[in-house]
Amino acid sequence: MSKRGKSALTICSTAFQTLGRAQASALGKKDLPIAVMPHPFGLRKREEVRAIAEKCVEDIVKLVTQSGAKS
Amino acid sequence: MSAAGTFEALDDLDAINKLYRERRWSDGLPIVPPTQERVARMLSGTRRKPDEVIAVLPPGFGEATVERIAVNAVMAGCEPGYLPVLLAATDAVAQAQFNIQGIEATTNPVAVWLVLNGPIVQQLEVNATFNCLGQGSWANATLGRAMRLILQNIGGALPGDMDRATQGQPAKYTFCCGENEAQSPWEPLHVERGFAREASTVTVVGAEGTLNMNTHSKEAGELLRVIADSMVHPTSNEYCHGGEPWLVLAPEHADILKAGGLGKRDIKQRLWELSKMPAGQLSVKEILRAQASRTDEYGEITPDTLLSISRSPDDIWFIVAGGPGTHSVYVPCFGNSRAVTREIL
Repeated sequence: MSKRGKSALTICSTAFQTLGRAQASALGKKDLPIAVMPHPFGLRKREEVRAIAEKCVEDIVKLVTQSGAKS
Repeated sequence: MSAAGTFEALDDLDAINKLYRERRWSDGLPIVPPTQERVARMLSGTRRKPDEVIAVLPPGFGEATVERIAVNAVMAGCEPGYLPVLLAATDAVAQAQFNIQGIEATTNPVAVWLVLNGPIVQQLEVNATFNCLGQGSWANATLGRAMRLILQNIGGALPGDMDRATQGQPAKYTFCCGENEAQSPWEPLHVERGFAREASTVTVVGAEGTLNMNTHSKEAGELLRVIADSMVHPTSNEYCHGGEPWLVLAPEHADILKAGGLGKRDIKQRLWELSKMPAGQLSVKEILRAQASRTDEYGEITPDTLLSISRSPDDIWFIVAGGPGTHSVYVPCFGNSRAVTREIL
């Protein structure tokens, strides 16, 4: 997506941050923005996940907008 | 494509293994140093050009050239004659339906199982009989090991980095066998999958592990019932996603099923029916995962919904392998993966 000039951002949990960063680098997009959520999700209730999402949404919008401006 | 990198090292096995250990180029076991001479000898096992790219392997998106595959084959201890198997297997794992990205990067312990069919099983002395999933056969041990090294060193799936397996499993060191075609009462796997009987093939399977099923049953219906009951487990990815379970049937069990008048399709149909599990046996979270994956099949999934292990009976696969004995093996699979077969040329 990012290579096609579209705004792109990856969202992952802390446990997958290393993977996300390494894959972005392997694909030639070292600066791909990655929004990192606390791990694990499996133990959280839906309401808790929703609360995390609401807390992060503005930051994510900001990140993806910046990413769009770069590409 | 650039050639594989080279470097100079002391002609000392201990020093080279220390270097490979420090650079994380091994699987944790000592390697055979891939000197230029050894790699050249390995490349004599194929007519393909060293710089030909067989596949680009996630999660690191490394280019698997013939030469790089040969380097890893040397490291694993393979003979030059094994190289065509690895070229075909590398092409197979890179096919979209196999989902190597998911398999390598997941927390699941999934390993890549190589199943060989056709004349190559005899030619390379691939073990398909006694202890064929265990130790003792050079071809089984080194081919499976080379596949893992290719995925790790070319694909970039290093444990804790891009390989996110929570525990992994011993089969991630090596997992390879042949089908015991001589003792199978049915057509072999590769013929069932559309290849000529005289063709040699490798099939790659995303395998979560192995479960031994020991039963002295002598009646086909009962034998299938206990096998199906062994396949049912509420922590399975297969019930969540509609997977592709595999079995290794012992020749003795295969003979009982054949004597019961059952063909391969009959066995798959019976196992598919007998292994249905009420969704209520899953945890609440897993019911939600099943709902996300299988709504198109089931609509709303309630605790009373009878979930099948795979979407279709045809998604259950089995080979006949092993020596004498009453042990068959259930190979639960990753769920979001489909096996791929390639001819070995």
